[in-house]
Amino acid sequence: MIIRMIALTTLAYLVLPLVVVIGVSLTETKFLVFPPQGLTLSWYRVILEDPTYVRSFLVSAVLAALATLAAIVVALPAAIAMARYSFRGKAALSALLLSPLVLPHIVIGAALLQYGASIGLVRNFPALLVGHLVIVTPFVLRTLMPLFSPEQLSLEEASRDLGASAWATFFLVTLPQIRAGLVSGAIFAFITSFINVELSIFNTTSTLNTIPVQLFNYVQYSVDPSIAAVSSLTILAAAIAIILIDWLIGLDFLSGR
Amino acid sequence: MFTSRLTLLWLLALPVCVFTAFFLMPLGVVLISSLSTQDGQFTFAQYGRILMDGYHWQVIGVTFRLAILSTLICVVLGYPLAWYLVRIVKWRNWRRTCVILLILPLFTSNIVRSFGWMVLLGRTGLVNDALLGAGLIDRPVRFLGTETGILIGLVYILLPFTVLTIGNALARVEPALEEASRDLGAGAARTFFSVTFPLTMHGVMAGGIIVFSMAISAYVTPALLSGGKVTVLAMLAFQQYSTVFDFNYGGALSITLLVFTMALIGFSSWLARLGAQDMKGN
Repeated sequence: MIIRMIALTTLAYLVLPLVVVIGVSLTETKFLVFPPQGLTLSWYRVILEDPTYVRSFLVSAVLAALATLAAIVVALPAAIAMARYSFRGKAALSALLLSPLVLPHIVIGAALLQYGASIGLVRNFPALLVGHLVIVTPFVLRTLMPLFSPEQLSLEEASRDLGASAWATFFLVTLPQIRAGLVSGAIFAFITSFINVELSIFNTTSTLNTIPVQLFNYVQYSVDPSIAAVSSLTILAAAIAIILIDWLIGLDFLSGR
Repeated sequence: MFTSRLTLLWLLALPVCVFTAFFLMPLGVVLISSLSTQDGQFTFAQYGRILMDGYHWQVIGVTFRLAILSTLICVVLGYPLAWYLVRIVKWRNWRRTCVILLILPLFTSNIVRSFGWMVLLGRTGLVNDALLGAGLIDRPVRFLGTETGILIGLVYILLPFTVLTIGNALARVEPALEEASRDLGAGAARTFFSVTFPLTMHGVMAGGIIVFSMAISAYVTPALLSGGKVTVLAMLAFQQYSTVFDFNYGGALSITLLVFTMALIGFSSWLARLGAQDMKGN
């Protein structure tokens, strides 16, 4: 009974700030207040009519999509190599490719800024993209690695014996078997990129900005409910992503017995 | 398909090139510049500046204190929630809903979540209102700009990680082992502490490592909830790159942060390995 109460309180603690943000976005007042006073969607109109928000949103979405695609291109061959081959330095390679998961993003961002400055890769879209590629690749790699099983090899051999080319075999036999994992890894990667501040903040400018960095800059200096409205939209996007993952792979992994 | 060494080379070419060019080399550049003077001479002066100075140790102290406390609180709060989700919840759809609620904050930007706390923890925010209403305090407590405020925000952001790793470990505990313990006459508490808890220790460790490494390098949450009054290591490093433009000193701060993170991850996984050997030994 005590455990149940602690657990439910903890759960409430996890949900509360998100509820507050959504609540604040609906207030009729010009200042932040929770519970909201009056109910209005006018703050959403304010942000949808603000070209800088719309532009940042597009930058974030395109950046996250391209970084995710690039991460798949990088992680897929690495996952296949690590699952099917034994070679020297495999453990080191796997540690290297997964290390952005635990290393401070702010250090990776600073490093990329300093290094990029020498080759013109600074404060532009490609600079943002390579940084995001590095931090999202481990997410795709981690979901892909366990998906390559020995049974697949015999299926692939059968496909080759029946005359399919290597590429046809990959797309018709291998890919369908890893599709669910690939998609969920891709969603994790997309979201990780979409909500990143620590890395992007080094390479954004007033005209090339991502949504979280723009929010971060706004929140520190001025606050009005329009920020809550933008935040609520990102919460909505997150909820959609999670429901997609749940639908794809099922989130019932905590069931014990 | 995929059998020859040549194919292996092809498979590894792109990942290795990308990570060398955009991960290892940038970190190498930072390491070199942290060991250089402004005009490129080799020096340890940047590190001397950090390690000889009381202010830096104070910042490192705050960073560590926050990271250690948030790790402990995340484990202490995360374990009951994980237990509840795995062992107590009977209705499948409710568990599913709980897991979605648990993951939702992870999929939301640090900004959005910290922003929620900025509203909640303000002088006239809901937390102060509730505490005043309950008669627990006489006048509003200042949370924003204090370590307590940052701690609340950090725990909030990192808690789902411990719940997920501990929950995963709990779900895999073999029921027969617990039954055996009960059959042999151990009480519920004894069974928990000498059977269940040790079996979930790797989940606790894994979650703890994630939380610790993220807490020690956190930037957004402390920056937003500190109001500039509390400084952590990541904020100090960022300042050097964004406003002071001292890449040598900033580099040294970054490497310091990196070394602390890696040392702690190394230490914890060594502890975990030791624990695993212990279990086998017994």
